[in-house]
Amino acid sequence: MSGSFYFVIVGYRDNPVFEMKVLPAGKFIAHAALDLTDENMWLLNNMFLKTVDKFNEWFVSAHVTTGHMRFIMLHDIRQEDGIKNFTDVYDLYMKTVHNIWWVLHQFYVQVSNF
Amino acid sequence: MAQCVQSVQELIPDSFVPCVAALCSDEAERLTRLNHLSFAELLKPFSRLTSEVHMRDPNNQLHVIKNLKIAVSNIVTQPPQPGAIRKLLNDVVSGSQPAEGLVANVITAGDYDLNISATTPWFESYRETFLQSMPASDHEFLNHYLACMLVASSSEAEPVEQFSKLSQEQHRIQHNSDYSYPKWFIPNTLKYYVLLHDVSAGDEQRAESIYEEMKQKYGTQGCYLLKINSRTSNRASDEQIPDPWSQYLQKNSIQNQESYEDGPCPITSNKNCDNLLSLDGLDNEVKDGLPNNFRAHPLQLDQSSDPSNSIDGPDHVRSVSSLHETKKGNTGIIHGACLTLTDHDRIRQFIQEFTFRGLLPHIEKTIRQLNDQLISRKGLSRSLFSATKKWFSGSKVPEKSINELKNTSGTTHLTTMPEMAAVSAFLQPGAPRPYPAHYMDTAIQTYRDICKNMVLAERCVLLSAELLKSQSKYSEAAALLIRLTSEDSDLRSALLLEQAAHCFINMKSPMVRKYAFHMILAGHRFSKAGQKKHALRCYCQAMQVYKGKGWSLAEDHINFTIGRQSYTLRQLDNAVSAFRHILINESKQSAVQQGAFLREYLYVYKNVSQLSPDGPLPQLPLPYINSSATRVFFGHDRRPADGEKQAATHVSLDQEYDSESSQQWRELEEQVVSVVNKGVIPSSFHPTQYCLNSYSDNSRFPLAVVEEPITVEVAFRNPLKVPLLLTDLSLLWKFQPKDFSGKDDEEVKQLVTSEPEMIGTEVISEFLVNGEESKVARLKLFPHHIGELHILGVVYNLGTIQASVTVDGIGALPGCHTGKYSLSMSVRGKQDLEIQGPRLNNTKEEKTSVKYGPDRRLDPIITEEMPLLEVFFIHFPTGLLCGEIRKAYVEFVNVSKCPLTGLKVVSKRPEFFTFGGNTAVLTPLSPSASENCSAYKTVVTDATSVCTALISSASSVDFGIGTGSQPEVIPVPLPDTILLPGASVQLPMWLRGPDEEGVHEINFLFYYESVKKQPKIRHRILRHTAIICTSRSLNVRATVCRSNSLENEKGRGGNMLVFVDVENTNTSEAGVKEFHVVQVSSSSKHWKLQKSINLSENKDAKLASREKGKFCFKAVRCEEKEAATQSSEKYTFADIIFGNEQIISSASPCADFFYRSLSSELKKPQAHLPVHTEKQSTEDAVKLIQKCGEVDLNIVILWKAYVVEDSKQLILEGQHHVILRTIGKEAFSYPQKQEPPEMELLKFFRPENTTISSRPSVEQLSSLIKTSLHYPESFNHPFHQKSLCLVPVTLLLSNCSKADVDVIVDLRHKTTSSEALEIHGSFTWLGQTQYKLQLKSQEIHSLQLKACFVHTGVYNLGTPRVFAKLSDQVTVFETSQQNSMPALIIINNM
Repeated sequence: MSGSFYFVIVGYRDNPVFEMKVLPAGKFIAHAALDLTDENMWLLNNMFLKTVDKFNEWFVSAHVTTGHMRFIMLHDIRQEDGIKNFTDVYDLYMKTVHNIWWVLHQFYVQVSNF
Repeated sequence: MAQCVQSVQELIPDSFVPCVAALCSDEAERLTRLNHLSFAELLKPFSRLTSEVHMRDPNNQLHVIKNLKIAVSNIVTQPPQPGAIRKLLNDVVSGSQPAEGLVANVITAGDYDLNISATTPWFESYRETFLQSMPASDHEFLNHYLACMLVASSSEAEPVEQFSKLSQEQHRIQHNSDYSYPKWFIPNTLKYYVLLHDVSAGDEQRAESIYEEMKQKYGTQGCYLLKINSRTSNRASDEQIPDPWSQYLQKNSIQNQESYEDGPCPITSNKNCDNLLSLDGLDNEVKDGLPNNFRAHPLQLDQSSDPSNSIDGPDHVRSVSSLHETKKGNTGIIHGACLTLTDHDRIRQFIQEFTFRGLLPHIEKTIRQLNDQLISRKGLSRSLFSATKKWFSGSKVPEKSINELKNTSGTTHLTTMPEMAAVSAFLQPGAPRPYPAHYMDTAIQTYRDICKNMVLAERCVLLSAELLKSQSKYSEAAALLIRLTSEDSDLRSALLLEQAAHCFINMKSPMVRKYAFHMILAGHRFSKAGQKKHALRCYCQAMQVYKGKGWSLAEDHINFTIGRQSYTLRQLDNAVSAFRHILINESKQSAVQQGAFLREYLYVYKNVSQLSPDGPLPQLPLPYINSSATRVFFGHDRRPADGEKQAATHVSLDQEYDSESSQQWRELEEQVVSVVNKGVIPSSFHPTQYCLNSYSDNSRFPLAVVEEPITVEVAFRNPLKVPLLLTDLSLLWKFQPKDFSGKDDEEVKQLVTSEPEMIGTEVISEFLVNGEESKVARLKLFPHHIGELHILGVVYNLGTIQASVTVDGIGALPGCHTGKYSLSMSVRGKQDLEIQGPRLNNTKEEKTSVKYGPDRRLDPIITEEMPLLEVFFIHFPTGLLCGEIRKAYVEFVNVSKCPLTGLKVVSKRPEFFTFGGNTAVLTPLSPSASENCSAYKTVVTDATSVCTALISSASSVDFGIGTGSQPEVIPVPLPDTILLPGASVQLPMWLRGPDEEGVHEINFLFYYESVKKQPKIRHRILRHTAIICTSRSLNVRATVCRSNSLENEKGRGGNMLVFVDVENTNTSEAGVKEFHVVQVSSSSKHWKLQKSINLSENKDAKLASREKGKFCFKAVRCEEKEAATQSSEKYTFADIIFGNEQIISSASPCADFFYRSLSSELKKPQAHLPVHTEKQSTEDAVKLIQKCGEVDLNIVILWKAYVVEDSKQLILEGQHHVILRTIGKEAFSYPQKQEPPEMELLKFFRPENTTISSRPSVEQLSSLIKTSLHYPESFNHPFHQKSLCLVPVTLLLSNCSKADVDVIVDLRHKTTSSEALEIHGSFTWLGQTQYKLQLKSQEIHSLQLKACFVHTGVYNLGTPRVFAKLSDQVTVFETSQQNSMPALIIINNM
């Protein structure tokens, strides 16, 4: 991905659990995309919801885990293939979640874990 | 979209009303002006018809129109300028604000509960104004005049002439090419002649006649006589007439915003923050390459291309300014003051008449004409037109149909058509077809992209969105609204975004987060459009969604914007609280950002405080104060060590709280108080607390003494990454002084910070808390008056250090007030110190509810003067050998103005120190004089007296060890028992290194009282903790055993041998060279050392490292008479000297330490604890028997150690104590380490009370009776003469016990083993072989025995078996005691 991006994992209370590449506007767009993510997740069978929302030049792709954790990725280039790496993130995420030290939705996952 | 007052069915017809022009003569205008209204305004409230309107279309079909409205307006020959429209719209929007106290709806969506106002009146006002103010355009016929009212007054000189003048004027305006505006529907405009008649002033007759004339000229359907002003203005106040104009005319809106915009706004000038958090990026995307410039297009509305417009457009300018005039003059002006209700009815009637007689027939005619034209024309896209026509023909809105038909038939601009088609389709009754939204989409797109006409697109969007809303198609509506947001109009974008947000929240499953996002966008656009109140409202609405979810940066952004907007709206409290939010929450912002926030916050705060300079100080949010960590200290700071002088450690804020030690101090104080109060602790006693913290008992008001400082330690924490600078930091307090005379002065002096004569306040001029740092500040108060003090909080100037120091680059940004900004930027404010007490948990109620007790640590009571003691230690060592005696000096200083008395010191380790007993006065009193002098009191002796003991005696009472007294509490021997103010006394103090090796922390608690009794404070205390490091020196073990020899006894069995083993356990070879045992002393009530049985010549008894030595002493019982005369506390001291100096062991300090060690030894629990009550007699017996084996001999070993320190030889002195209690049992100077008990299995049965304790051991019994055989060592007997050899043997039996003992002596050989028989078989006892005797206490009995031998040889005579039992005991303890000592006799043959 050559363009800029913003990635966030959002917990079931709509609280950000993990953020990467913080840009102020990104938060707003990602947060606003949660509505469509939640809507789409019941419509599709996949965990990967592809592009759920669009705001100006930003595309919002989402991936939903069974535990209703939402991975939101903002990117400015339409690139479905590039977003495939959600599965990689998901793998790492699962490893982290199964760590007993992970207190549910309450603290920021350390960046080093990813 | 939010809910609207108008339904869509009302909105659309109202948006497309037939327009009628009005042209008034000056005189007519004057008449209406009497009511403060123009003619058009006069008609406005009545322009909606109350009755139905019937109309026929060209197909002769009847249409019924309800609530038809016509728009009458004065002719304005200049099109409205876009700028003016913009301004008008802006004013409309800013004038419409949510009503105060409007109950907002609560919408629950998922986890979100949101307060949302369902209506947006500003949007409706905007829409209405927008649609009305839309300039007429060429391509369509909306807002084109259908008719023109020509109005003249009856009072005019030539009314008829006036009418024709007006008619010509109208014609000129419509047809002259000078006027491109206003637009007229058709060339043949309907003219309607209206004669205004002022009833109160005019001649009615004349009016009627003129009207008649008009009727003849223009026809009855073309003219009207309107009578108004029936009321003379002076009667106005009598009657209450409703004012229907008020709601139509510009509302008397309070244009607060204007005034706000005037002032300079320093905040917004600081662009720095804006850039960092800007949403600008979002907006850029919305713009679709549509320039502001529409000039190139035929649909051009912007008349600014005509340069004349802006110059000679006085009409328009006037209209706008007149609008302002009316707006401003509105206040207090009653419209229609000259109109009665009849006049109202007349106007209503007039409109009705005009519509039915004039307008409608005209419209019908026009439609027919157009229709004919259309049919006759076989032009382009015929099918399309017909289709459209067909649609319109069914429409209920003929006037629009007319427009549309005209439009389609005449012009090239087809865009309006789908729009109108869609609208018409929607309005069709019982529409079987779905609403053709795509028509609208097409229209919007064309308007926007092809025509570049945003105004038309906007109209289309407004209508379409409303239509979609009515069909609950919210998401389409939202999309539509969002699509029209663009760069060219912030106000429009803001309103549309807000409506889009409302669409999201109104969806079946509300999209809360989209709502929030669009609200933010709307707020942003509002703020760009200068609509600050609306911007603030939007941000606040959105905040509800983001709050508390962890989107901290988003929250910060919103809070920051809210803060700024609130600031510019002068809602300073809101601004402050919003900024406070950013600062106090754990922020993830960068330091730069935080610094910017902080400065902005300070700026706002400064403004707040400047507004009300005399108001209460504002509460500052930064830095955090951990109020429960607040500590309060009463008293002066500790003085640093001054040379050899070392001040008592006492209590200070530097000491960490330690629950163990505080408990220890408490116990010490209780101990001394109980001693002072004769063993009882008074109920009013509370341990003195000099330092209050979260662990101390803060339930009572602490007592502080006047003229003694109070130090409050406040724990600050800076949560920010930027440093905070607090200046002029001091405590805030209130004080209620109490008169010295005792009567309560109820006058509460609040915040008398400026009265230093009451309470002095220390001010810390600068206190810097670095980023993310926790730091404590110690603030002092100096009470100068008695009373009740309440420490309320801290007051300070909050600021930050110069930005450029920490944050680079920020100063370079434009608009940032560098230097001056940060330097001057500090705000005076306060923070309260409120400490919550501990949670109560005593009663049931307290347990079931959450209740907190009071915490009074900040509410001290200032009491009268008390003495204040300071204690200094001189030559106080830090390291000692175990048992070493060192002399130090203590200086007591009374630094107060009151004499003190009753000075005592209490310590858990009384064996560590002494002030000397009563004999201590002999020692030199000054520390300098005692340099290089032995700590002991010595007497030079001659060497001859070496091996014999020197006897002295002393009573333990003299050394403070009496019966019942607490040895821990030691009165300090002040010369006069009183220490006067300013006086100081130096007293010697001997220290003895504790026996255990290691670091010892020894607590001293000095207790003293005031000479004058104080009701509140009975006593005061001073603490000192001495830390002593001890290293190993000697280890002494001693045993005592009975001497078997009876020779020197004067008929009494009391002769002991004492063996003393001394080992040098010191291993530090560098320091201590060797130990010399210089003296061994005994101390006992009953025993004394008599002499040393030392065979070696090592008189000095030197012991190098790891060497051992053994001493043997003989001890005897003291003379009976001595013992009798002496009190039970009298001890006999016997010194055996190895050197040439006698240390008087019965004097200080030797005896002091001896007694101390003795008393501490006695405190230890006894090994035997007979508790069996049943066998009380048995117990007594056992005790008795035990007693027989007991001695109370105490050995004191005095030594000198030669130490090399810094190549200087020092002689250290010391003493060790061994307490001998039991014969034959080894005792140690050094407390033996107890083996840690093995892990025991848990026993689940009750241990049986066995009789272990009741049975004395063999050993104990054997010590009851001492036996000795007296016989000749060798005996010559001529066996050849006499075969039997008889030897007389004396058996001495000595009773060692204090009781009568029955003794059975059995001489018979034991026959248990044949071997033994063989050994002993060769001799036999003759005569009585078994004796039964009773021996009185300490009686000696001798038995004459005869032994009979038959052979020569060596025999053991020690065969008699002695059984002993206590006489008063019947059966118990028939235990034998074996005399195992061999008694050999040699029988020789002669």
